[in-house]
Amino acid sequence: MNPATKDISEYSQSVKAEALVFSYPTNAGTNVVAVDHASFSVNKGEYVAVLGRNGSGKSTLAKMIDLLEFPDEGALSVFELDSSAEENFWSIRSHCGMVFQNPDNQIVGTTVEEDVAFGPENLSVPLPELAQRVEKALGYVGLLEMAERQPSSLSGGQKQKLAIAGVLAMQPQLLILDESTSMLDPKARDEFLQLVGRMRHDKGITVIHITHDMHEAFLADRVLVLEHGKIRLNGTPPEVFSQVEVIRELGLELPKWAELLCEVARIYGIEPEKSAFLSEDCAKEKIRSILQMKLPEGVEREALPSHTVSDQVMLRVSNLSYSYDKKGKKTISDISFDVKKGEIVAVIGHSGSGKTTLISQLNGILRPLEGMVEVWDEEEKKYISTEKNTDIKRIRKHVGLLFQYPEYQLFEETVEKDIKFGPKKMGYDDATCDSLMRKSLPLVGLSEEVLSRSPFELSGGQKRRVAFAGILSMNPDVLILDEPAAGLDPAGQKEIFGYIETLRDQGKSIVLVSHDMDEAARIADRILVLKKGEQKFFGTPDKLFATEHEYLSMRLDCPCLIKTMEDLAKDRPEVDPLVFDVREAAQALVFGNKGPKEVDAL
Amino acid sequence: MMKDISIGRYVQGNSVLHRLDPRVKVFLFILYMVTIFLANRPIAMVATFAVVLLLALLSKIPVVEVLRSVRPIVFIMVFIFVINIFTIRSGETIFSWWIFTVTMGGLQKAVLMAFRLLLLILATSLLLSLTTTPLKLSDALESLGSPLKVLHVPVNEMAMTISIALRFIPTLVEETDKIMKAQSSRGAEYDTGNIFQRAKGYVAVLVPLFVSAFKRAEELAVAMDARCYQGGVGKTKLHPLRMKGSDYMWMAILSVTAFIPLAVDFLWNMK
Repeated sequence: MNPATKDISEYSQSVKAEALVFSYPTNAGTNVVAVDHASFSVNKGEYVAVLGRNGSGKSTLAKMIDLLEFPDEGALSVFELDSSAEENFWSIRSHCGMVFQNPDNQIVGTTVEEDVAFGPENLSVPLPELAQRVEKALGYVGLLEMAERQPSSLSGGQKQKLAIAGVLAMQPQLLILDESTSMLDPKARDEFLQLVGRMRHDKGITVIHITHDMHEAFLADRVLVLEHGKIRLNGTPPEVFSQVEVIRELGLELPKWAELLCEVARIYGIEPEKSAFLSEDCAKEKIRSILQMKLPEGVEREALPSHTVSDQVMLRVSNLSYSYDKKGKKTISDISFDVKKGEIVAVIGHSGSGKTTLISQLNGILRPLEGMVEVWDEEEKKYISTEKNTDIKRIRKHVGLLFQYPEYQLFEETVEKDIKFGPKKMGYDDATCDSLMRKSLPLVGLSEEVLSRSPFELSGGQKRRVAFAGILSMNPDVLILDEPAAGLDPAGQKEIFGYIETLRDQGKSIVLVSHDMDEAARIADRILVLKKGEQKFFGTPDKLFATEHEYLSMRLDCPCLIKTMEDLAKDRPEVDPLVFDVREAAQALVFGNKGPKEVDAL
Repeated sequence: MMKDISIGRYVQGNSVLHRLDPRVKVFLFILYMVTIFLANRPIAMVATFAVVLLLALLSKIPVVEVLRSVRPIVFIMVFIFVINIFTIRSGETIFSWWIFTVTMGGLQKAVLMAFRLLLLILATSLLLSLTTTPLKLSDALESLGSPLKVLHVPVNEMAMTISIALRFIPTLVEETDKIMKAQSSRGAEYDTGNIFQRAKGYVAVLVPLFVSAFKRAEELAVAMDARCYQGGVGKTKLHPLRMKGSDYMWMAILSVTAFIPLAVDFLWNMK
């Protein structure tokens, strides 16, 4: 019999780690300590979220539990079995299931059902049980109808469900999710989390979930926070998130309602207690009670940064339609919008709504089937359209397009050469290329030290910046950014959005595709909503979210901040809940944000 | 879109040939290959053509599709024909001009060689590429190759490699498309310049593509490990190949047809 089918006996502790150490050598000859004396335990049936910046050792820790990596020091037992004993190897691994970040890189089968069968096949599960397990697992995740399809025809969300089905068919006791939701859109992410919740409920599976999403962390029973391989925090979500300073120092963020609580408390000069972080309701209760207090002497309304948008239209899209096959259904139809100088326009919509098709039109990678895309040419003082082949190069000079996960487009031997690639292709001389390259570096927080290094030896976040700089070095007036912060940790995301705001203040026009509704509403001057290739809305965030729940009919999520604010503003006529920035929201709650006339009118 | 790209030229269907066990098809393919090479006389070639025609009828594949699979080798057929017709000199001279001489023997040989190639391609397409999915084919090769395990040939691993390669073709095609778009946004051009400039342009696509393929391979290996992959040892199969009665029957019938041309050839010789 195959050793992998060995059963395990009763246990109460899923994982027990004592002073685990893991290090690996680098090319430079030094040793990197990925996990540094980590001690923790996970009980049977528990849901534990693991947080930490990129490179803090979360994945390595997870891999050690599934015996994909082995600790240099320390003791690890899984299902109360000693992981260092060879006879326990298959017992542990066959009862752990892992779902990784990139949906594409974990599918083995050429068809959906064969992929699900892969695990149990390796465990020597015989027919007909094998076929039953496959069918059951596919049914459980809702992919039964697609059993014979090719995995490449599935959406990202479906692929992650397929990965779950593949794990389920192995009947695991412990499920490890290694940033499994980070490449999914909000809708697919919700469905995935619901599925995980159902598995915990139905099958009592223990879950270890590595994530950057604070709302996901709040779903957990317990949160572990790692920094440089060390476990810095270990406790329930309120215990962990009430340590606001430490959380920020560790490069994490708070849920919007917790941020709002902290900001209001800051104005009153007090520190909220742990119990206020228990849930959103507790936080709201606390905010209300703080607002009852007397404002300390000398505290006044703070001026918030604002910016102006010029009237110059830089990019104009009129009645644009496109279809990939001439006879077929239109992927996008009748889209019209414009972007002004110094303006950010956010494009939002679910996967498959035509966002990528739309942005590919904006610099002439795709050409309109109907309608027009026009770009302002500052030198010639006129609009040029993507219609004419001869204008395409000019257009690409004016419109820089950064696709999702742009780090995959790097190819040169050095960072310097890679950033210069664009300007060179645009026909600038060497000196100009050099100065353009050097100017682009500080815009994304890179120092000149990286120039001589190979882009492939940089960290993920650094690579992203290099790719960003590779577009900025062409000095475009209009920037099209497709999910520029996707997959980064919260601190990294914040930095990227910071760069975008600076670029806007310098007069760049920006089209931003984003899943993050809070961030889109906060940063954008106007929002374009796409649904199934059609334009559902184009206007200011105020208008989008003010129109009595019209956004709900577009199946959009409301920014979390507004949800909290709507509740807090209920009996406060002087407070308009339509604010998108936490600081602004706190100011509104404390000082009101409507003029006296508006209040009187009520 | 590029996503719909197909590997080989599999045409979906439910004919006798589609349902036939892929191992039988591989066996028959070898048999037909031998027949095609042994058949020498025009009459035997005609008989072979009749047998291939029978396969085409059994496969129920539209004529257009069958002809399409021949198209890529038309050039090679013409080439072989031309080489043979001008180099072989035997029998009566039909035509002679400058250094070109065409003889009766040469003409016969040229027609025979070109026709043989055509039959070979038709048999391959009808038995294998048009009616068998690549996955089934790799299953068949794994099963037929299993005796080689005695010689420590990693048959299971080779089949796994083939099937993973098939699985990743669409993914990599999609990725190529993405990288090309990204590089064009940075001003790269693939459709202008001379051949060297164009080849250089592709470096910007190939390097990231390879880097990402290696990364994918690494991640996939970890994912396979996590799902307890340990080579072919003890591995069961969701869809094991099983010979049914009808498979044996068609194997027998089609094997006999493979001998008909040879018999015709032999009998003609007796006369």
